[in-house]
Amino acid sequence: MSDVPAIEFAGVSRWYGDTVAVADVSFAVGPGVTGLLGHNGAGKSTTLKLCAGFTSPSAGAVRIFGVEPRRNPSVYGRIGVVPDQSPPWPFLTAHEVVELVARLHRVADPGAAAARALDIVGLADVAGRKVGGFSHGMRQRVKLAQALAHDPDLLLLDEPLNGLDPAQRREIISVLHRLGDEGRTVIVSSHVLHEVERMAPQVLVLVNGHLVAEGQTSAIRQLISERPRTIRVAAGGDGRPLAGALVDSGAVDAVRFEDGAVEFETADVDGFSRALPALARRTDTLIRRVEPVGDDLESVYAYLHERARGAGR
Amino acid sequence: MIIGPVYRLTLRALLLQRRTILLALLAAAPVVMALVYALAASADAHHFRFYSHLVQDLFIPTIAAVVALVIGVSAIGDEREDGTIYYLVATPQSRIGLIATKVAAAWTATLLLLVPSLVISALLILKGAADASSILWPVAGVALATLAYCGVAGWLSLRTRRPIVIGVLYILLWEGSIATFAASASKLSIAAYGRALVAERLPEAAAPVVGPAPAVVILIAAAAITCWLGARALVRVEL
Repeated sequence: MSDVPAIEFAGVSRWYGDTVAVADVSFAVGPGVTGLLGHNGAGKSTTLKLCAGFTSPSAGAVRIFGVEPRRNPSVYGRIGVVPDQSPPWPFLTAHEVVELVARLHRVADPGAAAARALDIVGLADVAGRKVGGFSHGMRQRVKLAQALAHDPDLLLLDEPLNGLDPAQRREIISVLHRLGDEGRTVIVSSHVLHEVERMAPQVLVLVNGHLVAEGQTSAIRQLISERPRTIRVAAGGDGRPLAGALVDSGAVDAVRFEDGAVEFETADVDGFSRALPALARRTDTLIRRVEPVGDDLESVYAYLHERARGAGR
Repeated sequence: MIIGPVYRLTLRALLLQRRTILLALLAAAPVVMALVYALAASADAHHFRFYSHLVQDLFIPTIAAVVALVIGVSAIGDEREDGTIYYLVATPQSRIGLIATKVAAAWTATLLLLVPSLVISALLILKGAADASSILWPVAGVALATLAYCGVAGWLSLRTRRPIVIGVLYILLWEGSIATFAASASKLSIAAYGRALVAERLPEAAAPVVGPAPAVVILIAAAAITCWLGARALVRVEL
């Protein structure tokens, strides 16, 4: 096995006019399944397009198996690509699509390869039907089949689970695990954290074009779960005795009084959760409502972004 | 190099489009004119002169040019638009092979629409006077001119998001206006070289810009160069 990583980004930026899609990103990806996580517009699709050679970096270098794919088309013999938002030719049958692509990849028996790939994605029964009549999920699976037919060493999958039902998702995820276990490099994008957790043991997190975290998916999850949180407590009275007691206990780092409620910032959510009921009893405070503030995925990404900027200073 | 599957795919896509029906109607317009002429013209009318003007002043510079432009742009631009070009580009095929195959398919579709119209028009207008050369030279002129137009259209569809607008401006403004009164400008007119071939047998229209042999070389070279430029664009532009 060569030491050359399947994907290597060295200081890669891609901008469109004033818009920066990817900003000074460097990473290397080797065998196994790697998730590319980020919100919509984070730069995931641009990153995958750079990997696939569908666009060139404005700065830096992208190497696939050690070469620039745009200038070395032969490297595509080792790559399978599932683009986002691009259904295959609607007037062809599923088998014709996969066979055509396999033929262009110079597969020895493209018909057999197409049948095998369609079987893997669970479309063997409808292989003779035209893609134009397929549901979104079925088209997604045709796209995956055409990427698998030539048995590639590297798979670039842009949101491959979009439009799939839960059973189909399970099937595709098990296919990805098998491919990763076989020593292939699979990079798969998603904006859903738990989806990436199920697919990929490794993850790259993009926020606003910046690579803000990379490593084991479980470590990123841990990092996210341990991030400082803001918790809003609506209490009877003005809540000041409770706030004072919580500050004294060390369970919170900061307190704000907002619209008749108290907002606590804490880095130790578990400690806060244990302290709150006991201190409410002790201070004779009636708690009406407890809710997290800014606990959506965007906030998680914003936190990772801020953390990465802080680390870079 | 495997060109057959891409050629068949592109040809199929082009012929299945709704706009192909409109282009077929445009391509058939000379047949209607020829039919009217055949019914109305007197026996001593100059059939060759009318046919020559029809081919050199209408068929090549307008109808063939527009049909080839639209089909040439569709062959690559439509795939770029709907993203299916990703499936072709992400293969180890040579870029020049992909572009040349697409241009060849566009050229085939163009000729399927234009050649029957040209031949039927000739037969209707020339009647018994039609011979092989009065049909073959115009067909050669149309064929080679449309080959060059398809090459240019394919290249434009990769270089700009408005290839039709730029192509139509070239056809109407440059070829249809500037090149008609400025002799040097006609050296950069595809239609002028197509007409140069037609003039070998039907000399009644404008004086040819060059002889038939240079015209053949220039039109083939124009197609080859634009295919090469298209292949270069394929590895440089955002897909």
